[in-house]
Amino acid sequence: MILMGQLLEHYVLLASVIFAIGAVGFLVRSNILVQLMSIELMLNAVNLALVAYNRVHVDNMGGQMFAFFIIAVAAAEVAVGLAIVLSFFRLRGTVLSDEADTLKH
Amino acid sequence: METLSAIFPPRDCSLLVAIIVLPLLGAIVNGVFGKRLGKDAVTLMALASVGAAFIGSIIVFFMLKAAQTGEEPARLVWTGWQWMQLSSIGELSSLNQGGSIQRIGIDVAFSVDALSGTMALIITGIGFLIHLYSTKYMEDDPSYHRFFSYLNLFIFSMLVLVLGDSLPILFVGWEGVGLCSYLLIGFWFTDVANAQAGKKAFITNRIGDFGLLVAMALLVRYTGSLSWSGIAAHADNLLRPITIWQVPLLQDKAGWLGAVGGPVQVSIATLVGLSLFLGCAGKSAQIPLYVWLPDAMAGPTPVSALIHAATMVTAGVYLVCRMAPVFVLAPAAMFTVAFVGACTALLAATIALVQNDIKKVLAYSTVSQLGYMFMGVGVGAFGAGFFHVMTHAFFKACLFLGAGSVIHAMHARVHDNNASQDLRNMGGLRHHLPLTHWTFLASCLAISGFPLTSGYYSKDEILEKVASSSVLVPSGGTIMSSLGPITLFSWPSWGPKFLAAAGLIGAVMTAFYMFRLYFLAFWGEFKGWKIVADWKEPAHAVAGGHDDHGHAAHGHDAHAHDAHAHDGAPLEGPTPQESPWQMTLPLIVLGVLALFGGILFSHAMETWLEPVFASVARSLDAGEKAGYVQPLAFAAFLVGFLGAVFVYYMRKGAPAALLAAQFPALYRFLVDKWRVDEFYDEFFIGTVDFIADIFVWVDKWVVDGIIARLTAWLVAVSGHLLRLLQTGKIQAYAAVMMVGTACLGWFFTMPQAHTHVERDDASGHYVVSAAPGLGYGYRWDADNDGKPDTEDFANKTSVELALSVGETKTVKVEVRNAFGRVSTANVVLTRPKPEEPRSAEADTNAGTRIAAEVAR
Amino acid sequence: MTVGGVFFLACSLLCLVGAVATVIARNPVRSAMGLLATIVGIAGLFLLLSAQFLAAIQLIVYAGAVVVLFVFVIMLLGADSSPAREDRARGAKIVSGVLLAIMAVGSIFALAPRTDQVTRFAPVTADHGSVEAVGKMLFTTGVVPFEIATALLVVAGVGAIAVARDRQGAMKPKKVLKDPRDLFVGPLMPRDDTGRPKEMTP
Repeated sequence: MILMGQLLEHYVLLASVIFAIGAVGFLVRSNILVQLMSIELMLNAVNLALVAYNRVHVDNMGGQMFAFFIIAVAAAEVAVGLAIVLSFFRLRGTVLSDEADTLKH
Repeated sequence: METLSAIFPPRDCSLLVAIIVLPLLGAIVNGVFGKRLGKDAVTLMALASVGAAFIGSIIVFFMLKAAQTGEEPARLVWTGWQWMQLSSIGELSSLNQGGSIQRIGIDVAFSVDALSGTMALIITGIGFLIHLYSTKYMEDDPSYHRFFSYLNLFIFSMLVLVLGDSLPILFVGWEGVGLCSYLLIGFWFTDVANAQAGKKAFITNRIGDFGLLVAMALLVRYTGSLSWSGIAAHADNLLRPITIWQVPLLQDKAGWLGAVGGPVQVSIATLVGLSLFLGCAGKSAQIPLYVWLPDAMAGPTPVSALIHAATMVTAGVYLVCRMAPVFVLAPAAMFTVAFVGACTALLAATIALVQNDIKKVLAYSTVSQLGYMFMGVGVGAFGAGFFHVMTHAFFKACLFLGAGSVIHAMHARVHDNNASQDLRNMGGLRHHLPLTHWTFLASCLAISGFPLTSGYYSKDEILEKVASSSVLVPSGGTIMSSLGPITLFSWPSWGPKFLAAAGLIGAVMTAFYMFRLYFLAFWGEFKGWKIVADWKEPAHAVAGGHDDHGHAAHGHDAHAHDAHAHDGAPLEGPTPQESPWQMTLPLIVLGVLALFGGILFSHAMETWLEPVFASVARSLDAGEKAGYVQPLAFAAFLVGFLGAVFVYYMRKGAPAALLAAQFPALYRFLVDKWRVDEFYDEFFIGTVDFIADIFVWVDKWVVDGIIARLTAWLVAVSGHLLRLLQTGKIQAYAAVMMVGTACLGWFFTMPQAHTHVERDDASGHYVVSAAPGLGYGYRWDADNDGKPDTEDFANKTSVELALSVGETKTVKVEVRNAFGRVSTANVVLTRPKPEEPRSAEADTNAGTRIAAEVAR
Repeated sequence: MTVGGVFFLACSLLCLVGAVATVIARNPVRSAMGLLATIVGIAGLFLLLSAQFLAAIQLIVYAGAVVVLFVFVIMLLGADSSPAREDRARGAKIVSGVLLAIMAVGSIFALAPRTDQVTRFAPVTADHGSVEAVGKMLFTTGVVPFEIATALLVVAGVGAIAVARDRQGAMKPKKVLKDPRDLFVGPLMPRDDTGRPKEMTP
């Protein structure tokens, strides 16, 4: 409870928890859309950590700039990823990643 | 003669090359262009090349005669080029008192002396006659040109063999005649049996060649030379011991184990002699390698006459005569030669008594007579043995050509190979083939030893020498070795008696079976077919007159051993015809030589060959003249001849049939040729098959199994296992990636503890510094106490040390990075001792001392 | 408990609940809503960390575009209509999930703040995370990545269209190749039905 919200460690801890949740979600869920959302979670967690560190080392705005770029790239990635999901749906009729196993054996 | 000596000087006699090369040229032309040239051209080429070689041999003979003055044997030599050069160290170096490498050159060189000159005459002369004979015998054969090509090639190889100046050249000829023998025996190779006979001949020969190669190796090592003159000069070096069997582990044990393992030493001369004799046994069909000669009768009859009667099989006798200087140093080897020759003579004679094929009787007769020749040379009667070679060439070639003439006549009606040669289908041919009959009779008398024929002279001389002479033990009977003196084999006292008895018994049998053959073929009633005066060839045409193999297309003509046609009526045919002049002329010439050759040549040959064997005569014990041999030999002839007359002329073969019925097992045993072939098949070939089976198993289960299949199985199994990782699901891949990234992360968050040392050995001042890094903290331990100097990790990046001379210290640094991970590094520092200091001497000595140290 | 602390607690709670909802929800629309909640929570935390510009961008881009895109696609696919298939790799998923949880817990314990090792924020001025501050950095030090990011966005857009378009049926028929002679004919030339110029009658 000490200085809640004013210590770097809190933010980094929160970011790592969200990252872990996102990672677990990616590995466990089979719906591709949910997997993509889990990836977004991970990216957001990283953004949080970056901005938190930027708040400690205030001279260099590199942290926030990096987060800015992450947001841009994540948006592009979501666009392309969803396009791929659409194609996959047209091919297989499902959005379960378990069906995308043509590389098996 | 002077012009001849001028054109062909004795040291550079290119006439020898001409004699040798002309048949080769004939072979090449006939072989390559024969089909295109046509029969007449091929005939001309073949006869011309051999005829020219014969004329050359005659010229060489006269040149030798002219050059033969005094004791030394005359020799004409031609040296060509160096074939190869052997370098040797060791034994020969000690021979030549030097430690350097000796180079032995082997040259392509030909030489001729009395011995090889006579051989060359026989080869080319009889060769020419047989070429002439073959022009008619092989007339209808589609491979006419191939036959003459091979025949010329044979003459070439045989001439290389006898005219070669050294063992390697002889070996080239040796192999060449083996090759030609194979080619000619299997001439009608479309019949598998003929091809197999050819293979058998070649392979059996090869086994003998191993002996010849071993002998060559021993000779070149211990005498330093392979040419005749070189070997004769250094032959005494062979009287040294050589260990041929030694098992080091068993050597010192007592009892029979020690005997098995103990070193067995023989003199090198004995080893060389025995190895050479192995080669001769292969080539000249002695026990145990005679089995190819009867099978070789599958070839055309002129081939049997030339190769297996007159020339190739006598190459072994020639070799023994050539290597006489070596053989006389080894009484053991000589006795082996004579003994094996005697046994062979007896064995082959017993088999020949019961054979029904005319060519097989003659083949076993050849083996038997070769045994006589080896008996002769084995007791040291080189001249007598060689004279028998010559007379045997005459009468055996005549016999074979006569048999060929008979077969030629039989073939007019009976086309089957076996039936036309079967004695039981012949008889009474003396009316129809008069010339053949008289020459055949002449040769039979010669081979049986009828007085005043050539065979009488040669065979009786051999028997006489066998009964009386022997080989003396060289060098006093012992040779020194590292294990003490070795007693050399000396001729046993029962030796001459045994050999003479074997020879006489063999003579009885020879006379008997030869006259059995004569009476069965030429007397009595003709059993081949019913002779009809104007018999015409039936409508179904018969292609290819008398090739000696049965075409499959000739099925309806191929008859069984009885001479009846398929439909049960007796076979009818024309009168058997005498052969044309090309076939009868050689018969006449050879018959005359067989009858009168002894009278003409016996004494001349003895004096002619005397200089060649003069040097070895010292090693022979001539012994008392065994006067009792000659009457005994004549008695042997009479017994045999009269026996044959009684059984086959008077009683028409009835007593023989009775004997065969009373002793069926013995009869079968003899007819089956003592079952030697079957024994070899079981024993030797069976062993090879067994070993081959083992290796097949090894190949299948070890090589294939372990190396091929096991590795493949391992790869497949690991593939199966690894394939389980390939699930195709991205989540699985992502999980694996995560694990990998974690490992990378573990690696990347490790601090790097690298140290750098600045050395100053002179003053002993060392500085150890650690590599910097982001957020690194250092903790040093520089005072060798095992505990870090400070508790905390500080920013101290370097530490200084002082070392005294020869001291060693260890510095430890622990590095911690921002993630809290620590890694350590150890540095061992040693200050080396300086060089030995110079002692402070007085100035006067300083200069020398410094100079001495510099030199050191 | 300061206001900032309460705000922090609220926003982090929102984040966590949203994250868990994203991962756990059966219905993808609910997952999308959970993601939205997380994003909004993160935006709030950005505000706490004096990153105003970034918070705005977060809301505009993430909440306003990315989540909307997700919802569009879910609606397009009718993703909630996917039949529930049996989960074939259930075991592997559980194992990896557990592994990760261990990693996460381990990292939490490694990073848990100890009272003697806290890192406090430095004091900042009001325009620390403002548009100008970020923009200044963006257009000086980061201008090259900025331009590249622009190109990336264009490429991504084109790529998305290329990947997602419907290849059958929506294509226009292939255009008939024009006779080269038509190139020399003006546009006012009378043409017939197919668009080819009518032959001139002399």
